[in-house]
This record gives sequence, structure tokens and C-alpha cells, in this order.
Amino acid sequence: MKKIIALALALVLCVALASAACADASVYYLNFKPEQDAQWQELAKLYTEKTGVPVTVVTAASGEYETTLMSEIEKSDAPTLFQVNGPVGLANWTDYCYDLSGTDLVKHLTSDAFALKDGDVVKGVAYVVETYGIIANTKLLEKAGYTVADITNFETLKKVADDIQARKAELGLDGAFTSAGMDGSSDWRFKTHLANMPIYYEYQADGIGTTGAIKGTYLDNYKKIWDLYITDATCEPALLASKTGNDAVAEFVGEKAVFYQNGTWAWNDVKDLGAENLTMLPIYIGVEGEENQGLCTGTENYWCVNGEADQEDIDATIAFLEWVITSDEGRKSMSQDMGFVVPFDTFTGEYASTNPLVAVDAALTAEGKIPVSWNFPTMPSEEWKNGVGSALTAYAAGTGDWNGVVTAFVDGWKTEYDLTH
Amino acid sequence: MAKAKVYHDGAVSGARRVVDACLSILLTVLSLVWIYPVVLILQNSLKAETAISTTAVFELPTAESFVGLHNYIYGVTQMNFLASFGYSLVITITSVILIILCCSMCAWYITRVNSTVSKLMYLLCAFSMVVPFQMVMFTLSKTADTLSLNSPFNICIIYLGFGAGLAVFMFTGFMKSVPLAIEEAAMIDGCNPLQIFFKIVFPILKPTAISTAILETMWVWNDYLLPTLVLDIKKYRTIPMAIQYFRGSYGRVEMGPMMACIMITVIPIIVMYLLCQKYIIEGVVAGAVKG
Amino acid sequence: MENAIKKYWPVFLLPTLAAFIIGFIWPFIWGIYLSFHKFTTISKTTFVGLSNYVKVFQDATFVNAFWFTAKFTIVSTIIINVIAFVLALALTRGLKGTNVFRTVFFLPNLIGGIVLGYIWQILLNGILTNMGLPLLALNANYGFWGLIILMCWQQIGYMMIIYIAGLQNVPGDLLEAASIDGATSFQTLIKVKLPMVMPSITICSFLTLTNSFKLFDQNLALTGGEPAKASQMLALNIYDTFYARSGAQWKGIGQAKAVVFFLLVITIALVQLYFTRRKEVQQ
Repeated sequence: MKKIIALALALVLCVALASAACADASVYYLNFKPEQDAQWQELAKLYTEKTGVPVTVVTAASGEYETTLMSEIEKSDAPTLFQVNGPVGLANWTDYCYDLSGTDLVKHLTSDAFALKDGDVVKGVAYVVETYGIIANTKLLEKAGYTVADITNFETLKKVADDIQARKAELGLDGAFTSAGMDGSSDWRFKTHLANMPIYYEYQADGIGTTGAIKGTYLDNYKKIWDLYITDATCEPALLASKTGNDAVAEFVGEKAVFYQNGTWAWNDVKDLGAENLTMLPIYIGVEGEENQGLCTGTENYWCVNGEADQEDIDATIAFLEWVITSDEGRKSMSQDMGFVVPFDTFTGEYASTNPLVAVDAALTAEGKIPVSWNFPTMPSEEWKNGVGSALTAYAAGTGDWNGVVTAFVDGWKTEYDLTH
Repeated sequence: MAKAKVYHDGAVSGARRVVDACLSILLTVLSLVWIYPVVLILQNSLKAETAISTTAVFELPTAESFVGLHNYIYGVTQMNFLASFGYSLVITITSVILIILCCSMCAWYITRVNSTVSKLMYLLCAFSMVVPFQMVMFTLSKTADTLSLNSPFNICIIYLGFGAGLAVFMFTGFMKSVPLAIEEAAMIDGCNPLQIFFKIVFPILKPTAISTAILETMWVWNDYLLPTLVLDIKKYRTIPMAIQYFRGSYGRVEMGPMMACIMITVIPIIVMYLLCQKYIIEGVVAGAVKG
Repeated sequence: MENAIKKYWPVFLLPTLAAFIIGFIWPFIWGIYLSFHKFTTISKTTFVGLSNYVKVFQDATFVNAFWFTAKFTIVSTIIINVIAFVLALALTRGLKGTNVFRTVFFLPNLIGGIVLGYIWQILLNGILTNMGLPLLALNANYGFWGLIILMCWQQIGYMMIIYIAGLQNVPGDLLEAASIDGATSFQTLIKVKLPMVMPSITICSFLTLTNSFKLFDQNLALTGGEPAKASQMLALNIYDTFYARSGAQWKGIGQAKAVVFFLLVITIALVQLYFTRRKEVQQ
């Protein structure tokens, strides 16, 4: 009998708890970047203390942002703020995106290019600009007798890398470049980020911004840089497929390799080497005039507000974002704690990013180097990237030839593009 | 097992002894292989992050790479792992108690009352055991959301609903063999059905209740997909969910803390198992034979 | 008596029935209904007839997942049961330390699928790397065998326990009679023990069969379907269709896939029922 009473009490308690959820305006941010989770949580707490508006931040596990968003958006208490990665991502979520045109968020953007539009309607705003290139350990570079100034194009990069590779035992290294990490842990560094290089130059040459059929004009250059990565690496090319992204980081941080292709977001992983020992080089692929090429800079992170949410939640969300980009606390958190370069005009002076790798990019741009834009949001689909990734792996392992990469790149692009259009 | 020996006693020969010795060695080796994965995780959970690359994973911690309980402390504080542990515990305990209580009562009703409702309920329960979760995954999470059954304190109702099949099935299987006589005698003595159930029937059901409880505990404690879809992830994460969340940004995994948390998950299971091994193994056999 | 209990139905039947309707019956019926519709949110559904089902079979990933699952199910069922049976034989000989072995072999069964998946991912990737072979996520073949090894580790102990129970139920006088007749131990195994443990074999085979067929957690954690969905099993494929593919049509197709999946599982269960019934008649 006692058990029944206890159970009944428990049930009553449950119902009471469930109905206690309040109906006031609230913000629910489904965050994409796990490395900044702690900062967002803190910011949310601060905002709630100041204004009384509850802000919840949930960070999805890696590779599961889409699944988490898909299952959360169905719920009655859906995210009011989420993110998409560019035009291709927007196409899937455009029905859920609230029209942000005319909000202060859009007004504060430093450039119209950072607004993600569907027709004339602003559906998303970029909140972080990132840069990638070849992160180099200058201490080791100098030990080998070189400086950053010695590397100005593909020829010199190859010369330096080949020489370091040849003398690796003497220098106490395992190789010039870190191993690849072709599994899901870091394959995007090559199938997406490195593949951006030939696409960028082809778009430049043809004067276009997107295409339904890539020609692969610069695929030979893609082969050049990939060959360099895999021959001057810390392990045999055939062994690259057995290394993970964690291994690559461990090699670089353990000072077993000099070069590591990655971006500003990786700063926390490598910072133990010391800012004075690190720099970032442009990815040279042997195109004419590349001495003037800068780092690859762009964004694939756009904030979108859930238009299906209650109007008061939408308003609260926009108010929260405006607070983040204008208040001292918000600006400090985003620029200094998260280390972001934020594309809003409120982030000047002391609110510029303190990330040393960002400083490298700024210095290069100041020198007049031309940044390479991010063209991978125009890649036709994830399938396409996977196809290129598999072909690159097979080529490195010796189980496939370069033609496989060309086919996946050129033919795959057309097939995937036609499927989605 | 001693019995088996008797029949061969006359024939216990040198050959058999050799075979037995070989078997013992073989089984010992196999047992070591069997526990190696857990040992591997344990040894790596004590190493520094950079010493856990795929090539170095088999190396024992050295003076250089040994970091003591750092990973444990980091994992527990960073991921709020103790809270996850608590939620998993609450969900498992409430669900299993609710399932055992409600389903045994329901099973008694079904076996003792001969009506269409009873028969239908029994058939549906047997049927529900077969249905894969993916079939109701989407609609169930939607229903749970509408009814706000999304906290660790009331998700047990969902578990009762989805787990009722097996429990009812097992209880009715046993109940059919329980003679009516005692219950009827109690009825004549003036007990009402509730008193009969709790004073007479439930104690008889105890062995089945234990088997069922063990099977349901194993299911609820380890379940990943249902809580992921149903729970309010803004506030709650169970252990399997927390482990999944270790996959950091851009596929980078914090291996050390992750392995530490795996150990924190596995150790209580091993302790529990060693303590109630007899019940668990019996429960599993009973469950398998009936289910 | 019956009438007295009947009056108490709100106490005895109602809680389970209510939860059962919420947790199973309603979602099940609704699921079937939705499989004939196109929808992104459930408030906006359009009837599309059988077109979702047609698309299920046109979806190469589903067909691929089906064959992967079928292959996996067959291979794992055979390997697990053979090894479990052999272990059970070894552990019913009255060896020293039998209890310790039994304890160790059964242990992995209690560890959850997600945790198991990560444990083996770390271990197998470590082995593959040190042998200079591609990682699990880059080769569907290794993914396949990795899953098999994982399932063996998890399930063999469980099946072994059931076989041990079956073997211990073989009546002693039968074995004695065989021994007096001069049967070799191999003959005893084939002619006496095997037929007597047939029910256990049926149970174990179908348990492994359904466990393997419905596998999800282990698949998600060990390979995640990599590379390019080549190691994706049916349950993961359905989850993926629902939650990872964007576009209005996919949820309906996902639900249709789930119905197809359910029908496959039901077929296996009916076959099992047929076998068990037939055995019961024979005995």
C-alpha cells in the first residue's frame, strides 16, 4: 500500500514539475561550436542576471548539429536561435528563418557580404570570420635554417619542405607536414578547405562566383600541393589513412612536424607552443602570381532566428544578440574569450580579436596580400566532398590514381549539382 | 557441474587431464583478451592528451605521460558528468519500479479476468516486444513533447509504455502457472483484490520480478536514442548522451576525459555485477527463455 | 473472484494501459499514418499515397544498408552462436575456475552500446594504425568486421549462459547410458547433447538475429556509418533519413523506411514463432 501512495505522490510531483515551465519570453540558442560552449554559457547567465530573460545555450555534439537541430526544432520548446553554414544550408532551413532585414544586427554588419540572403530578405547574419592556411612552427623552421620570408610561393615552399624532410633525423623531426587524418575527425581540411584552392582560382579565372559544372582547370595544382603534403609527411603516404586528426595535432604540438594546415579556430589546440613560435602561411599551389596571395578568409557560420517561434521569443532573441554585439561584456566575450573576428562594426579597438593567428592574417592583408575567399559553401553537397575525400585517400594509399580524384571532382560536381537543382 | 564428472569418472584418463589443462590455459588467455579492452581504456585514462594518439594507445603510462586523476577531474567538472550520472540513476530507478509495479498488476488482471480487453492487451503487449524503436521514434518523441514527459522525473511513463510489453509478457507467463486456490481462500477471508495482490500474489512473483527488473535496468540504463530524442536536452543528459557529447568541434575528441568518463560508467556496472552476479545471470536466462 | 478484480480495473489495468497507449499504440498508429504523407512539421502534412514507399526502394543508401545489415546479421549469428556453444561445452566440464571464466565472459553484456562502440573504436583504430592499415571510418570492410568483433565481445557471454543452462538440463542418465554404450565424447555431443539443447539453440539464434538486425547504438558509436554511409545499418539509416537529411520529403520517406523495417522484423519474429511452435509439438 505504501508503495502505491509513494508512487501516486511521485506522479503528482512529476505533473507539477512539468507544468511549472513558465511561458515568458526566453531565448534558446543551439550552438554549433563546442570549443566556445563555456563562454556562451557564461554570457547567457550574465544576460539573465541583468535582464531576467532566461537564455539557454545547448551545444550539439560534433557532426550532429543537423540531427540535433532537426529533432529540437520539432519540439514545442524549439531553439529560437540556430545557425546555418551558407547558401546550401540556408536552402534547407529557409522556411524557419525569421526575416532579419532592418534589425540592428544587419545595420551593424561591416559589409553587406556578411548578410545571408534569400532573394532580398536577410535570413542570416555572419557572426565570425575565420582564416586558414598552413600553420608553421617558426622555431623549428629557424632551426632548419629558414625563415618565413623564404617561403613566397609553391616552389620555395616545396624546396624548404623537401629539405626539412631530407634532414628530418638530424632536426629531430618526423617530417615536414603533419600526417593527414582522413577520417571524419579532420578530412574536411583537405576535401573542403584544400579543395577550395583550385575552385577559387577557377572562379577567379572565369570571373564567376558559383557554377553548376566545374572544369577542374587547376586540378594539377591541387595534385601538386597534395603530393607535397603526403610525401613530406610524418609517415608513409600509404599510412596516412591510418592517422586521425588527433594524431596530427599531437605531432604538431609535440614538435615532430613543422607545418600543419588548419585555421584560426585551432588556436587553442596549438597555443602551448607559444605565440612567438607560430605563424600562418598562405597555401601556395603553384599558380602564377601567387606571391601576392594571402590566407583563406571567410565564414560559414550564420545566425538565424527561428521564425516559427512565438513573437515574444523572437524579439527576446534579437534583443539578446544585439546586446551581445553592443555591450562591453558581450564584445569582450566574443572577441577576447572566444577569440573570434566578428564582422560587426561595434568590434573595434580593444574588441579586436586577440587570437595571434588572426593577427597574422591582418598583417598579411595590411601588406597588400589578397585574401582567398571561401568558395566551399558553393560545393554542391556533402556527398561531393565525401567523394573527393575518398578519392584523395585512395590516391595517397596507392589504391587509386589521380584520375579518380579528377572524376570525383569534375563529374561528381555535375552529378551532385543536378541532383539538388 | 560436479555431477558431470561422475559419469566420466571411470574413464578419467591422462588424455582427459591433458585436454582439461589445455582448455584451462586457453580459457585463461581468452579471459585476459576479454577484459583487455577495459584495461586499455583504464590505462589511457591516466595518460596525458598528447600521449593518446592512435599509435601510442597501447603504451603504458610513463612517468612523463602519467597525469593521475586529471582526466577524471576534468571530465567530471567540464561535462557535468555527475549530474548525468544522477539523471541516469533517477530515470532507471523510477522507470524500473514503475514498470515492475504496474506491469505485475496488469499481468495479474489479464490472467485472472477473462475478457476481450485482457486478451487484446496481452496480444498487443506481445506484439509491441517485436516492434523496433525506429518505427515509433519520431511520433513518440513528438507525443512525449506534447505531454511534457521530457524530464528525468517523468520520462518513466514513456519507459513504462514502451517497455510494458516485455514485462507484462514475462509476468503473465509466470502467473499462468500460479494456482488460484490461495487467492480464492484469501478472498473468502474477506481480503479485497488489492490486499490479495500485495500480500499473496506479489511475493510469489518475486523471482520473476527480479529477472524482469534486471532486464529492464540493463535496457533503461544503457538506452541512448530514446532519451536523446525525448529528454529536454537543454537541461538533462544521461550517461550515454554525455559520452556522445565528447566528440568535440570539427570531430576532435578529448580522448583523455572521455576515457575517464567511460571508466566512471563502467566501474559501477562491474561492481554491481560482481555483487549480484547470481541474480543477474539467472534473470538473463529466465528472460531469454520466456521472451 | 473474477468480478471482484474486474471492479478494480482502474488500479490494476489503467496505469499500464494509459502509458502503453501514450508510449506505444498511439505513436505506432500515427507512424503508419505518417508514412503515407509528406511533412516537415506534423502540422502540415499532405497525403502522397505510396510514393514514400516507392522512394524507399529507389534510395541506394537504404538498399545498401539492407544488404550490409543482412550480411552482418548472418555472419554475427553464426560466429556468436558457434563460439558461445563451444565455450558452454568447455565450461560444463567441471574445470577449475569455471565461475571466474563465466563471470568474465558475461561482463561486456552489461555495458551499453554507445560506450562499447567507443571502447572498440579506440582499440581497433589503435591496432589498425600500428599495422599501417586504414582506420575503421575509411574502410567499410574493417567497419564490418569491427562491428562483428564488437558484437561477439558483447553477446557471446550472454548466449553462453543460455547454452550452459541448456546443457545442464541434459538428464544425467542419458549421458550415463551413452557412456555405457561406449559412445565417444564426440558422438555424445552430436547424438545426445545437441538434440537436447535444440530449444536453447533456437532461442539464441533468434536473439542474436534480432539483436544484430536492430543494431543501432554500436553502429552509431563505432563507425557512424562511415565511410560515406557504407557501413550504415538499417536502424541508423532510418535515423539518418529522419534527422540528418534536410528536405521536405525525407521525413515521410524515413517513416516509410521504418514501416518496412518493422515488417522485416515481424517476419523474423513469425519465423521464430513457427520454429518454436514446431519444436513444442515434437516434444
